[in-house]
Amino acid sequence: MTRLVVITAGTGNPSSSRLLGERLADASVAALRDAGVPAEVTHIELRMLAVELANHLATRLPGAALREAFDEVCAADGVITVTPVFNGSYSGLFKLFFDALDEGAMKGRPVLLAATGGTARHSLVIEHAMLPLFYYLKALVATPPVFAATKDWGAEGGKLEKRIRRAAEAFAQLVLGAHPAKGEDDFEVVDFADLLGGG
Amino acid sequence: MQLGLFSVGDITPDPTTGRLPTEHERILAAVTIAKKAEDIGLDVFALGEHHNPPFHPSSPTTLLGFIAAQTSTLILSTATTLITTNDPVKIAEDYSVLQHVSEGRVDLMMGRGNTGPVYPWFGKDIRDGIALAIENYALLRKLWREEVVNSDGKFRTPLQGFTLAPQPLDGVPPFVWHGSIRSPEIAEQAAYYGDGFFHNNIFWNLSHTKRMVNLYRRRFEHHGHGPADTAIVGLGGQFFMRRNSQDAINEFRPYFDVAPVYGYGPSLEEFMAETPLTVGSPQEVLERTLSFTKEVGHYQRQLFLLDHAGLPLKTVLEQLDLLGEILPELRKGYAEGRPAHIPDAPTHASLLAAARERKAEVGEPAEQLPSRVILDSVTGRSPEPAERSL
Repeated sequence: MTRLVVITAGTGNPSSSRLLGERLADASVAALRDAGVPAEVTHIELRMLAVELANHLATRLPGAALREAFDEVCAADGVITVTPVFNGSYSGLFKLFFDALDEGAMKGRPVLLAATGGTARHSLVIEHAMLPLFYYLKALVATPPVFAATKDWGAEGGKLEKRIRRAAEAFAQLVLGAHPAKGEDDFEVVDFADLLGGG
Repeated sequence: MQLGLFSVGDITPDPTTGRLPTEHERILAAVTIAKKAEDIGLDVFALGEHHNPPFHPSSPTTLLGFIAAQTSTLILSTATTLITTNDPVKIAEDYSVLQHVSEGRVDLMMGRGNTGPVYPWFGKDIRDGIALAIENYALLRKLWREEVVNSDGKFRTPLQGFTLAPQPLDGVPPFVWHGSIRSPEIAEQAAYYGDGFFHNNIFWNLSHTKRMVNLYRRRFEHHGHGPADTAIVGLGGQFFMRRNSQDAINEFRPYFDVAPVYGYGPSLEEFMAETPLTVGSPQEVLERTLSFTKEVGHYQRQLFLLDHAGLPLKTVLEQLDLLGEILPELRKGYAEGRPAHIPDAPTHASLLAAARERKAEVGEPAEQLPSRVILDSVTGRSPEPAERSL
């Protein structure tokens, strides 16, 4: 079973970031199903992990729910991330999660980027803020991303729906071709003879 | 089973009074605490190493040597010795001397350190942390085991024809532990040499500690030192106890809430649930501590962090009195169900006995030890064999 994880950083309830995350997940599952691959989806709402993330920042101690979220990401075949735009960038909560995540956890992992904002004036936040972050994390970033302004939810002609479908189809193709490392129970060991030699 | 204390030597204000102890007070407090540890029957006192305020132990062997002079059974150890930024030659020299003056009551725990700027302050690059730990330790082992050392590594001036002085006591190098929270390379290093592995076990869930310990145990067996359950494992831990649980919680909470390492983070209750910290009655501390064995298997050394976060000396000494009271129960608990083949942590006496046994096997008389009698380069005479009770 292909596993998709949706990480959303919306703070409202209901949240438009969560809503966009659900639409992207549904469309991605449909695209994978069309390719004959069944997929399951896990949603991680960072709002519920906010206190554990702050504690982790202060002490490096991951709480139980946070550890579970890290494990989900490390076991995912693809990750859909959605952040609201705060002051021209992703939200602090969004960044906090990826700062806390184990180094290398996003490496080679397909990612679909998405963001929500009050108006379309914020739409390049994906290219200017999210893309460098995920490039740095060595994730496989799918194109196109999806930005949803408040107005888009009422746009005529199903324009947002079409953009969601197009992005999900491209993301699904990436998921089908990628083989990201899956979290394993044991640490990787390099034999000491090699460590000595290479030291 | 060895039980003891470890301390980082932090100088932290007492949050309940705002009073900041002086460095001088804290250094002398470490001596008082170490002596008290011996008095109540603990086996080990381990001191950290830092090269920046608010910590005082920049010169561990000076302080440990002073403690050695005022104790008679306590094993003096480190938590940790910076194998990355110290010159391995100086480590070999300093701890050889400490081993002699303490009559062998010394072991060391190697660590890489966690303060970034210490690397450049000592002319090193933090990105070389693991490589430094590996090369420097390989040299340290040679210095303690080979009479004439030639070495040409990446990080240190080459050595040609170097002989360590003084040589290790009785020709037996101090036992070495390797401390690491999350670096598999260090667990592998400890396993490769058949050295001890110590997990500080303070900031993490016990399940994480267990993963690191299991990795070390598996690799210990892989490298041919014996079955995994005979590997030499040490754990950290911390507690605060009063006869009544609620008193312990009420008294410790103001210290916990603003402690330098975990303050302003999770609540005391969350931290107790997620890490081995126990704040409660002596019975609760006893039960929690003995439960570590269920996770990591039978192990050899348990060190407690008691002297930290601004706790006054008087309070720390009261903690030791309470620990002294449960110590017999603790020892009994560790002995319960412990199979006979599980070894104790090596000591100077046990390592010397093992060395003599190896000598006997190859037919050399035991009294030939130390095997490497070195002529005094000034007088040209060999040293008098010392009378020593082991």
